Amino acid sequence: MTMMPADLRARLETDYQPVRVLRSPLSRGVRVIPIALVALFAAPIAFNVRPDASHLGWSGVWGLSLIQSVLGLAVVVAALRESVPGRGWSPSAIALWLAIPIAMVIGITLFSWNASPVLLRSEWWLIGGVCFAGSAATALPVVALAAILASRAYPTRPAIAGLLLGLGAGLIADAGWRIFCHFSEPSHVLSAHLAAVVVSAVIGSLASVSLVSRRRGEL
Amino acid sequence: MAEDLKLRELMREYQSGRFDAFDEIYALIAPALRRFLLAHARDGAKADDLVQETFLQIHRARHTYDPSYPLMPWAMAIARHVWLMDRRTLSRRPWAPDDVTAMELPVRGDAASLADRDEVRRALGQVAPARRHAVIQHHLLGFSFKEIAERAGIAETAAKLRSSRGIAQLRALLKGGAK
Repeated sequence: MTMMPADLRARLETDYQPVRVLRSPLSRGVRVIPIALVALFAAPIAFNVRPDASHLGWSGVWGLSLIQSVLGLAVVVAALRESVPGRGWSPSAIALWLAIPIAMVIGITLFSWNASPVLLRSEWWLIGGVCFAGSAATALPVVALAAILASRAYPTRPAIAGLLLGLGAGLIADAGWRIFCHFSEPSHVLSAHLAAVVVSAVIGSLASVSLVSRRRGEL
Repeated sequence: MAEDLKLRELMREYQSGRFDAFDEIYALIAPALRRFLLAHARDGAKADDLVQETFLQIHRARHTYDPSYPLMPWAMAIARHVWLMDRRTLSRRPWAPDDVTAMELPVRGDAASLADRDEVRRALGQVAPARRHAVIQHHLLGFSFKEIAERAGIAETAAKLRSSRGIAQLRALLKGGAK
């Protein structure tokens, strides 16, 4: 029978205390919902709903954004699952978690453009900058909360967990921002809005790596 | 299957306050973890170190284990992480520099009476480069002969030989300098 070395046993015993088992990724993901709702409704409440809402209809404006938010939340839950040892996603599953949201943003963009084509004629860089910065800034609180939740587990691949949670947060924030944005032109949406989602994913990855290395340093 | 259920129960007990359950967990999973780590590290002593580190990390991450899932994939994921972290740490450690005059040499108190740092540094600079690297890597930077051999693309015995010949040359040089 293999015995635990005495020095290891002594070291563990001094540090030992009972622990509460970490909740499931889904129930931890539920904690993100309040802040996700704020991110979703912040832009339409602060700046009003897009002027072409009557063309797109309720489902084209709110319905699609709700679906995008739910997908964003699902990606955050996937990130929380990734942060538990032994429950990490396979490379193909990670590729799907990254590709599906991007495909969805592209699909919603093309749908909105077909249903109500609104061109961005002037100052595209200024309006693009506002949409990019607004969307990315709205995602930050969701990124922060999700990164804290992920770091409380033991992510063995914090960069991937962070990438997923940042992507999820970016999707939720962009879902709200598209309810307000006046322009459906694909070049605007796929540059400014999608770039904010990508930047949010990168920030999530960096934040997660930083939080995890800090926590490991504390241990 | 029965062992898996037993492991889950033991881990649940460990999480809820029975420290002794970890002895049984260790006895049941340490051999498998060692085999896994040995297959990656290819060095028995290193694998033993990594097994200890893995159990330390299992202890620290014990709150993340969900007893409704098998224990082994969870423990193996931590072992793999420990091995990857060790490899990363190893790749960031300093390798033997060519310019020994800039090195901080940890000369012990008793050694200081035999030769001062400058003398040691000067003598080390005269040792044949391959031998000097082996001496620095093993005696100053703490690399094992296996690690030195892997990095230099030589056999482990050759690394040991380089180091011992380097030390002999260094001794001779220091004796010569003292005269």
